[in-house]
Amino acid sequence: MGKMPQYGGWAGKVLRVDLSTGRITTEDTVEKYKDYIGGTGLGYKVLWDEVAPETRAFDPENKIVFATGPLAGTSAPCNGRTAITTLWPTCWPKHLVGSGHMGGHFAAELKYAGFDGVIVEGRADHPVWLAIADGKVEIRDARRLWGQGIRRTTLEISRQMGPEAVVAAIGQAGENMVPMSVIINSVSHSGAGGAVMGSKNLKAIGVRGTGSIRIAGNREEWEKAVRYHLSLIGANNQIVVPSSPQPWAEHYNPGSRWVASRGRTWGAANPPIETGSCEPQNLNRIAYRTNNAAFFLGEQAWRYTVRGNGCTGCPIRCHTMIKVPTVASKYGIPEIGQSTCVRMIFGKWFFKSFPDGPLGETSIEAAMVGMHLADDLGLWDNYGQLQRDFQKCYSEGIFQSKVGEKEFRRYSWDKFEKGDPAFLFELLPRIAGKDGELASALGLGTGFMLEGWGISEEAWKSDRTLQYWKLGHPKHHSNEDAGQCGVIINTQYNRDAQCHSHTNFTRNGLPLEIQKRLAADLWGSDAAVDAAGDFTPMNVYKAKMAKWALLRKELHDSISLCNWMGPWSSSPLKERGYKGDDTLESLLYSLVTGDRKSPRELDEVAERIFVLHRALTIRGMGTREMRAKHDTIPDWVYGDDKDRIPFTKGTIQMDKDDIRKAMQMFYEEAGWDKETGVPTGATYRRLGLSDVEEKLAKKRLTA
Amino acid sequence: MKALIEADGIVEQVLNVVAPGQPVSRRRVLKLCGATIAGMASWHFFGMGGGISAPLIITEQAGGLVVADPTRCVGCRRCELACTEFNDGKSSPGTARIKVRRNLNFGPAGLYTGQCTDGNWGSGLIVQDFCKQCPHPVPCADACPNAAIEVKPPVNARVVNPDRCTGCKVCLKACPWEMMSFDPETNKATKCFLCEGKPKCVEACPAEALTYVSWVDLTGKVPSRTTPVSNRSVACIDCHK
Ligand code: SF4
Ligand code: SF4
Ligand code: SF4
Repeated sequence: MGKMPQYGGWAGKVLRVDLSTGRITTEDTVEKYKDYIGGTGLGYKVLWDEVAPETRAFDPENKIVFATGPLAGTSAPCNGRTAITTLWPTCWPKHLVGSGHMGGHFAAELKYAGFDGVIVEGRADHPVWLAIADGKVEIRDARRLWGQGIRRTTLEISRQMGPEAVVAAIGQAGENMVPMSVIINSVSHSGAGGAVMGSKNLKAIGVRGTGSIRIAGNREEWEKAVRYHLSLIGANNQIVVPSSPQPWAEHYNPGSRWVASRGRTWGAANPPIETGSCEPQNLNRIAYRTNNAAFFLGEQAWRYTVRGNGCTGCPIRCHTMIKVPTVASKYGIPEIGQSTCVRMIFGKWFFKSFPDGPLGETSIEAAMVGMHLADDLGLWDNYGQLQRDFQKCYSEGIFQSKVGEKEFRRYSWDKFEKGDPAFLFELLPRIAGKDGELASALGLGTGFMLEGWGISEEAWKSDRTLQYWKLGHPKHHSNEDAGQCGVIINTQYNRDAQCHSHTNFTRNGLPLEIQKRLAADLWGSDAAVDAAGDFTPMNVYKAKMAKWALLRKELHDSISLCNWMGPWSSSPLKERGYKGDDTLESLLYSLVTGDRKSPRELDEVAERIFVLHRALTIRGMGTREMRAKHDTIPDWVYGDDKDRIPFTKGTIQMDKDDIRKAMQMFYEEAGWDKETGVPTGATYRRLGLSDVEEKLAKKRLTA
Repeated sequence: MKALIEADGIVEQVLNVVAPGQPVSRRRVLKLCGATIAGMASWHFFGMGGGISAPLIITEQAGGLVVADPTRCVGCRRCELACTEFNDGKSSPGTARIKVRRNLNFGPAGLYTGQCTDGNWGSGLIVQDFCKQCPHPVPCADACPNAAIEVKPPVNARVVNPDRCTGCKVCLKACPWEMMSFDPETNKATKCFLCEGKPKCVEACPAEALTYVSWVDLTGKVPSRTTPVSNRSVACIDCHK
């Protein structure tokens, strides 16, 4: 036995695989990456140090980094995500840094196999897959797998590696370097970046591990901390009130994803299982609270529900599994499907209407077909932008004018008009196969599609129904959820902002008075939050909340906590006044690693990671005019269908001057230059990023 | 344990064979449980068992049992993690004494059974495998050449005594349900010890899929996963894991 490692949590090694040369090496995680923890932090660090700014996503010089953090694979609730960091192929007009966040069982298995992350570089000269089993790594021939869907690929690899293997694979979309593609593991857990894997001729990564992760802290304390965390957990997206009145609940909110109730039943379980009232104190019923099939597909999905499913160690089970027998005979696809959120409605969202209404049987069938095809071909939806683009291009005659009559007529538009899910079998495989102009354009992502067709981005930016934001991507929990705070957050990334810290608070379902009381504790004043759709002008507390939200996102993506659930800033516990705990991350991180870090110290690491992302973006764009050129806001944010004016009840419309002020306040909070939006020298130095500052200064990219 | 000794004269005979002439203290009996089984086996081998009629129940029944409901299982593996983190201070599904991982993707029948599998890639059913706390004969204990698997109060779980376990892995091949685990970090076998009556896995399950119940004999009711190897092939098991 080797000597006891200094820290718990980390597996200890990061794997590096050069597909061009076949060279496989490892490096010490703690030694090399501890200041960035893991996950996105590790990914950004590799991209900063090793990938030149002029690199394009599909160049062999681009790298794709799969990284987890110290909590992955432990029983800290919600630890299932792997951060996939690379140059983002749908980021328009230039590929900038981006990261995807893949759930499932990959992160845990990778760590049990001995690795915190995998850095893939170069390009293989023929299709390969990577086998990682208990520290042993091999590059294997994937020629026979090339052209196969993700399901078959997973099965074939599992036959070789054993049934416990977790396989992260790309489908035909990724192979064909369709930018709108994903990597999938454990049936339905996706992370974008499939085309980058495809560009490297890498079909899949199979992992299998029988090793363990040491918990450095005292065993009883760890057990207590985990139970404590569980006691503060709500339903999916950390919603802490039920959707209907419950005997135990003081409050309820129809918009809640906490949908369990007496009489609501997993109808396709055999025998059916009643979800019941799910008192928050009962930690043995957390898995029944959420049913995202019922939430996203409507009440009738209850009878199709088999059970909840989800990532390693997560009690929430946001990927609901449904069984719809009719789809097997009608469409020849498996009768069981599972997913969450926008991927659950991937297929449904293409259609304007269905013969039996928006929540009828056909809509569920469309969802089933969509889930099956998207998760087998490995297609990305860009948070629903793909479907919105499709509908817009169709309804405004853009397809017809851009692709020519002959190609246009290849599609059964009557099926589309009728809301017939069979239409998806024409559209989706063609997107994955770059088959024809229409499908190829959709597969590029919005920015490159518009450019290719000579349509101005402004046309997209002004259409409120499109929800398009910038750089080829849509909004993700913006002003509709958190006013100015949401807007600020949506300016920061090079894809849709994958941040939920803010929305998991403002949409927690609690009445505004309680939210305000909690907000005062968290950000210094109750003025930090408004009711959604009843916004007040900007103030500094909103800027503090925005910064906090962004840092927590990066922290979660680095220590491996799910930012779709955290932070746990409120709880379902009346006896706590619904207070959550903002220090949970530090408690869990310190206990698992043995590296004691106060919440403040950990926030500083998060800030280092976030600022490194900023530096990568600055370097990638080659400009310091971030405020003007990067942190842009689409026009639709400043409009309202009913011409209501900003700061009146009922509108989510923002005011231009107020948002200008909001950005300024945020830059100030962040320690960034107010005019340009680049971090100041003092900020880089405070965060231990002097070398980053120096490199940027040489290129005149500092304040 | 005391009640057992007093109730059954046969036990005394057996104990005499194992430790002739020695006074049997309470402590000694505890230590002997595994050895008793081994002793009996040789006793029969030498044709000495002829005078004694079956059944020969010399191992105390367990006081409790963790049972699992596959239809409720949501495949989160919190049970496996609780088992190893809260008992051993490490996250280690590979050595967990409740086993979900191996059935998670394709179910107990695995991948070579054709189209219809269970698990996440199939019907969705997740079967949790748990230790039956077997009544006599206890296959794992029976097979152990070092008498390392003992009956241990307070709940009389069948427990690996790490001081006696030499890491030979014979028990791994003996359990019909493949419920023995081997920890390469300690080089010892380990198995479900019912957390001394407060099962961590049951506490950890977020779907009420596990229950701690009074012991019942499930050995004839749960299909086995494997046919235990004979003593002769025991030597092969190091390679054929
Ligand atoms: S490990 Fe197997 S043989 Fe031993 S008591 Fe448990 S079920 Fe029985
Ligand atoms: S009862 Fe205890 S030892 Fe047995 S499987 Fe459950 S947690 Fe593990
Ligand atoms: S904790 Fe419960 S639901 Fe989760 S895997 Fe174990 S038995 Fe299944």
